[in-house]
Amino acid sequence: MMKNVMEVLFLLMLLFTVHAKEKSYNPPEKPALTRCRSPEKETFTCWWEPGSDGGLPTTYALYYRKENSETVYECPDYHTAGENSCFFNKNDTSIWVNYNISVVAANALGRAFSDPVDIDVVYIVKPNPPEKLKVAVMEDKGWPFLRVSWEPPHKADTRSGWITLIYELRVRLEEEDDWEMHLAGQQKMFNIFSLRSGGKYLVEVRCKPDHGFWSEWSSTSYINVPDYFPREKSMWILVAAFSAFIFLILTWLLHMNTHRLKHCILPPVPGPKIKGFDKQLLKNGKSDEFFSALVVPNFPEASPSKYEDMLVVEFFEVKEQELMLEESNDLLDGGLKYESSRSDSDSGRGSCDSHTLLLDKCREAKEERQTNRDGSLIEKQIRQKDRKEEAISPDISSGRVKTWPSLYSPLPQYGSNPLDKQSSLEMAKQHSLSISSFLTQPGTKDALGLSYMDFCLSNKQNHVHPQTQVQTRSNVNISNIGHKHAPAGLHSPTTQYVEVQRVNKEDMVLLQPVLSRCGLIEDCPHLPKGEDYSKVKGVDYDNRLLLQREGTGEDMCSGMDQETNGERGNCYTTSTVSIMQKPTACIYTVMPIQEGMALTLNGYVDTANMGNLPSC
Amino acid sequence: MNGTFRSVSLVWVVLSGCLFFSSRRTSVCAAPICTNGKAGCHVLSLANLFDRVIQHSARIHGISSDLHSEFEQYFLPSKNQIGRVGRICHTSTIITPNGKENAQRMARGELTEVILKLLVAWRDPLWHFHQSMAHHHDFNNFSSNKALEMNDMVHELRQGVEKVAEKMQVQGIISNSVSSLASPEDLLPSDSVEWQLMKDYVLLYCFRRDSNKVQNYLKILKCRIVPDHGC
Repeated sequence: MMKNVMEVLFLLMLLFTVHAKEKSYNPPEKPALTRCRSPEKETFTCWWEPGSDGGLPTTYALYYRKENSETVYECPDYHTAGENSCFFNKNDTSIWVNYNISVVAANALGRAFSDPVDIDVVYIVKPNPPEKLKVAVMEDKGWPFLRVSWEPPHKADTRSGWITLIYELRVRLEEEDDWEMHLAGQQKMFNIFSLRSGGKYLVEVRCKPDHGFWSEWSSTSYINVPDYFPREKSMWILVAAFSAFIFLILTWLLHMNTHRLKHCILPPVPGPKIKGFDKQLLKNGKSDEFFSALVVPNFPEASPSKYEDMLVVEFFEVKEQELMLEESNDLLDGGLKYESSRSDSDSGRGSCDSHTLLLDKCREAKEERQTNRDGSLIEKQIRQKDRKEEAISPDISSGRVKTWPSLYSPLPQYGSNPLDKQSSLEMAKQHSLSISSFLTQPGTKDALGLSYMDFCLSNKQNHVHPQTQVQTRSNVNISNIGHKHAPAGLHSPTTQYVEVQRVNKEDMVLLQPVLSRCGLIEDCPHLPKGEDYSKVKGVDYDNRLLLQREGTGEDMCSGMDQETNGERGNCYTTSTVSIMQKPTACIYTVMPIQEGMALTLNGYVDTANMGNLPSC
Repeated sequence: MNGTFRSVSLVWVVLSGCLFFSSRRTSVCAAPICTNGKAGCHVLSLANLFDRVIQHSARIHGISSDLHSEFEQYFLPSKNQIGRVGRICHTSTIITPNGKENAQRMARGELTEVILKLLVAWRDPLWHFHQSMAHHHDFNNFSSNKALEMNDMVHELRQGVEKVAEKMQVQGIISNSVSSLASPEDLLPSDSVEWQLMKDYVLLYCFRRDSNKVQNYLKILKCRIVPDHGC
């Protein structure tokens, strides 16, 4: 049993020693001087921050050296200023002298020196806050203001000029958070204006020497500003008077502008605006007079301002070559483009401009044209008329129209190469929009014998756009599609004459050949030359017939079977062309020209077998 | 033509005369102080003079503080190193009061003398400092301008303090012995080469302190002599 007790004791002692060894003691950590301050430039205090004491009781000592002296002094007073501080009284303080101060921490195991600090008392002055702050409400011509006054801290000697202090005060209302700062300079009194009636104010002040730190804010002073402005009554009286004044002005304005307002709010009902409508007659009950007054003498108008009239009188003359295209533009991009699906407005362009039509034909025509320049007067006239952009009054009675202005200068070019009827036919077939009508030229030996003249008056300018120029050109594509070579011996102008008889009510242009008077097919005499005839130069690719004035060539019409009309035979070709809203909806009749029929002609439009009727 | 020519020439003469006289007025030489309060002459009171010189000294101290902090900022000399080397200012030979009591105990004449001694002692070093600043190009133009301004202002302050001393002597506040020390040669320490050995940083440090001394002493003088306002 004793052995057990001994063992236990031994174990306990071991434990104690081990425990004691874990808790090791160290020399103290390095202390640090935090700050030194002087309240009045006569004494100063330094504070330091001790480090860890290493577990042992540690003592701290402050040592200093004055400038240019090696003598080390110790702090004279460790207690006056509190814990971890050193107070230098007046005798120990020298101004404009550099102090080198350091703190030493010492315990049983060692010592630690802080980093030394150099100070000059002049530059570490932080005064006490000002004292005896007084705030009073004073009056200036009926308006109150605050007069704030204070005293410098009693320790700072400003009287002898040793310290110069500048002051700053701050004011705020009790219910607000933001202070209003005022710098007061060296004076010890300040006035604050613009007070809120009945408000409660807080005022504080602080000071600073000319080279030093700001003091803390003084204790707060409270002040109540009396109600100098009986706000409830007077303000409402003012408001009432002002609003009454405004009200008077408004009523006066209203009175002056009653009529205008009435007109604005209750606009008058508009009456009927019928020409010739006479209310009085109606009221009188005499219907005869009334209705007769409605009749307008010149109705319907014969003026050519409406575009249908212009359509009526248009002549067509399809000519093989030239068809001056002033703008041979980008359509002819590499072959025929079958782009019927492409949406194309097609406005203002000839058929060769349209991407969807007969590009090769156009190219061919262009080449033809270039080779065969014909500067006829009629052409020029047409061109001039093109530019004029006005309608010429048609001469309906004669059934022929003088050359009609083709209102759009870009005339399609199309050569009328009879060699390619096949391809053109195919083209025409394929193309849904196409009004490709080409007229076979005399001299061509077409195996197929089918050439179409289908044209569709352009329907771009229709009722929908009255202001636009009437596109009254019908373009007849004469050129052969696909053929790019210029026809060798086809230079003779092959022109065929078509004249627009009239435009019927369904917007259909009735055409008739010019050679209607010629009677026989084969020996039609020459067309009377002159101004009565206009040739169709060609068909534009957006379905416009281009007219041209020209001297005639051999005008023979190959009279064939007639077309729909059933008029007397021969050279009548009437084709009905309808003008529709959209090009796709264009309906045209195709008049295939027979094989040998028009070959020798210079471009007559012929009623032939109405074979294929490609629809628009 | 003749009339216009004459009038133009007259105007020119008048203008040139005005310019000439005004330039004379703004020359360095100040207007003579009126003696015995002659009529039409604006007499500056001692309080006004004191205010002016105090303002001047405050400005000098401000400039020197700026320059010193700039120097510290850019060159950052090791403080310990300087502390060990010791800041020996060339004016340390001049005995200056180091506390309020010492300063208040000192006679007014003595204090004025100390002020003048200090101002005189800094004349040459500041000039050389300005020269070295202009050559070094280490500082920007602003700093070199400050150095030049400091130089000029110390010169002007010295003249102002001399005027104040003169006035005080006239009014019998101080004895006449002060003015006899106006000659700068007597005030300089014999081994005046010391200041040449000072580095720029030490020079600025010393001058900052001395300008503060001058300002403080002037304020003490003023509150002792004319204690009405501002004290």
